[in-house]
Amino acid sequence: MDVTLQNLILGFATVFTPVNLFYSLIGCLIGTMVGVLPGVGPLAGISMLLPTTFGLDPTSAIILLAGIYYGAMYGGSTTSILMRIPGEAASVMTCIDGYAMSQKGRAGAALAISAIGSYVAGTLSVVGLMFLAPPLARFALGFGPPEYTSLLLCGLVVLSYMTGGSVVKNLAMVVLGLMFGMIGIDQMSGYFRFSYGLVALGDGIGVVPVAVGLFGISEILATAGSPDRKEILKPKFRDLLPTREELRDSAKPILRGTVLGFFIGIIPGSAHIISTFVSYAMERRLSKHPERFGQGAIEGVAGPESANNAASEGALVPMLALGVPTGPIPAVLLAALMVHGITPGPLFIKEQPAIFWGLIASMYLGNLILLLLNLPLVGIFVNFLRIPYRILYPTILLFCIVGVYAVNSSLVDVGIMAVMGLVGYLLRKLDFEIAPIVLGVVLAPILEFSFRQALAMSDGQYAIFFQRPISVTFLGVALLMILLGLKPLIWRTGKDWRDRLTQAEKSN
Amino acid sequence: MTIDRVSGSALLLLGLFVVWERRVLPLGTHGQPGPGYLPLLLAILLVLLGGLLVLRGGGAAPLRTVDWSEAPHAVAILACTVFATALLERLGYRVTMVIVLGFLFGVMERLRLWQVAALTLGLSLGTFWLFDSFLRVPLPRGGWGF
Repeated sequence: MDVTLQNLILGFATVFTPVNLFYSLIGCLIGTMVGVLPGVGPLAGISMLLPTTFGLDPTSAIILLAGIYYGAMYGGSTTSILMRIPGEAASVMTCIDGYAMSQKGRAGAALAISAIGSYVAGTLSVVGLMFLAPPLARFALGFGPPEYTSLLLCGLVVLSYMTGGSVVKNLAMVVLGLMFGMIGIDQMSGYFRFSYGLVALGDGIGVVPVAVGLFGISEILATAGSPDRKEILKPKFRDLLPTREELRDSAKPILRGTVLGFFIGIIPGSAHIISTFVSYAMERRLSKHPERFGQGAIEGVAGPESANNAASEGALVPMLALGVPTGPIPAVLLAALMVHGITPGPLFIKEQPAIFWGLIASMYLGNLILLLLNLPLVGIFVNFLRIPYRILYPTILLFCIVGVYAVNSSLVDVGIMAVMGLVGYLLRKLDFEIAPIVLGVVLAPILEFSFRQALAMSDGQYAIFFQRPISVTFLGVALLMILLGLKPLIWRTGKDWRDRLTQAEKSN
Repeated sequence: MTIDRVSGSALLLLGLFVVWERRVLPLGTHGQPGPGYLPLLLAILLVLLGGLLVLRGGGAAPLRTVDWSEAPHAVAILACTVFATALLERLGYRVTMVIVLGFLFGVMERLRLWQVAALTLGLSLGTFWLFDSFLRVPLPRGGWGF
């Protein structure tokens, strides 16, 4: 405990410089803007803005990027409440009661409760992250190549199951992503693989062009030409104060959503979206007046919004402690850290405490900044929604091109982004989830390295994966998920939570 | 044809293509896997998953139900991205972006001339200043140094 507090003080000492405070503020503001604007999700936002951090020292860069991440998660709720349009998929549940409250003239209170819930959830989740990540990292120090291989396989299979849609299709996307990750020089033998004479492909396909192409460009391709959004409500500052009753009704849902969201967030897949469903269902089940849900119940805003923000920070636990991202956004954050020479994993917390604890401290600060600034500025953020989409999408395209080019000053990367945009567009049309591809690309080199090392250790005996307890546990979980996923192929089953998740992702 | 059968066939063919292309990469042994070992495993897995989609995809939505109404816009945007990829370093960032944005704002979205001019020049020059001059992330200049 003492060591943790000392480390936290180190983190605050790192963050509380005028420069880092400035970057935290800028990150939160840009993140909120990214969350509010249609067509720019947190993933594309972080990827596009990564080059703007190149001139910064690693700590400032991470603080800025983390600010964009949780700012975007927060910003998504604004459009859900005011326009019934989820800024990103995790805000779908907020639409139901948030918009109903807006219709009753309580938009300000819904926004305020959403902000307070996000703040409480964000802050408490950082406490969870602070206490959970270091022991997990210490535990992972005992992992050898077989455990890492099984952990990565387990993560990818769980992601396929926990992401909406067909498990077979999701697994195919994971495999496709892993295959994209095989392009370039084989790090163990030096062979060029699938590069067709393009020297620039020697380093492989970068995660940034893949992420921007799949999430940024394909979104523009799929939505350009669609009619502009409907009328936007603009709450006044004095309307932002929730009543005493609304505050009282929100307290327990916020706490329940926080705990639930944090632990669900650690699981790979669309955890932040799932956590909002579970929270909404739980609040409705626990409510003495479940009939109010859908009609503007404040608990229907407080619970899911808290769960969403807690899950975003829970997702950072495996990313920071194990170096294993659980979703596309942590995967891009991981890539961003690596651009700055930081490799998250079991040794990260031990060897670079200033950066890890600086990041933790910046999250406390970022959550406070979001609460203090975003509520008064909600009117300004709402104005961004007035920008017609026919002006917005060429601007997003420009930022995609400049953002991807600037990472390596490479036109090949811009070309990869264009190809990935087309691939993503076609895959969306054919009902495929694209998130597993990004994760496959990021994890391919680590998976291949540990897989080949494990086989070398055992002289080619696959039994090594089943003889070690941790490894076999991960494989057991993966097998269970595959069997659960294949169940609908054998038995006809009714609609379950995975179908609702698919609907939520499509509605975004 | 259903969506799942078409996409399953495409994945199956891609898997077979990778199996074929992998032949130039040494497989190694089980004890010392070579650079072609995992790609082959993945390609086989993709063939299996594609095959499963083809076999079980009879009940999926027909391909003709897919809405392509945004396709003309999508083709134009994609063409702009390809244009930028081909000419960004030859024409320079600012000239390329003026052409790309001018086309999208002026031809595709039919904004007024002054709006096109203001947006095109403002965004092209503004982002160049932001990235190249302010953030010191070098962006390409064309043959004229512009």
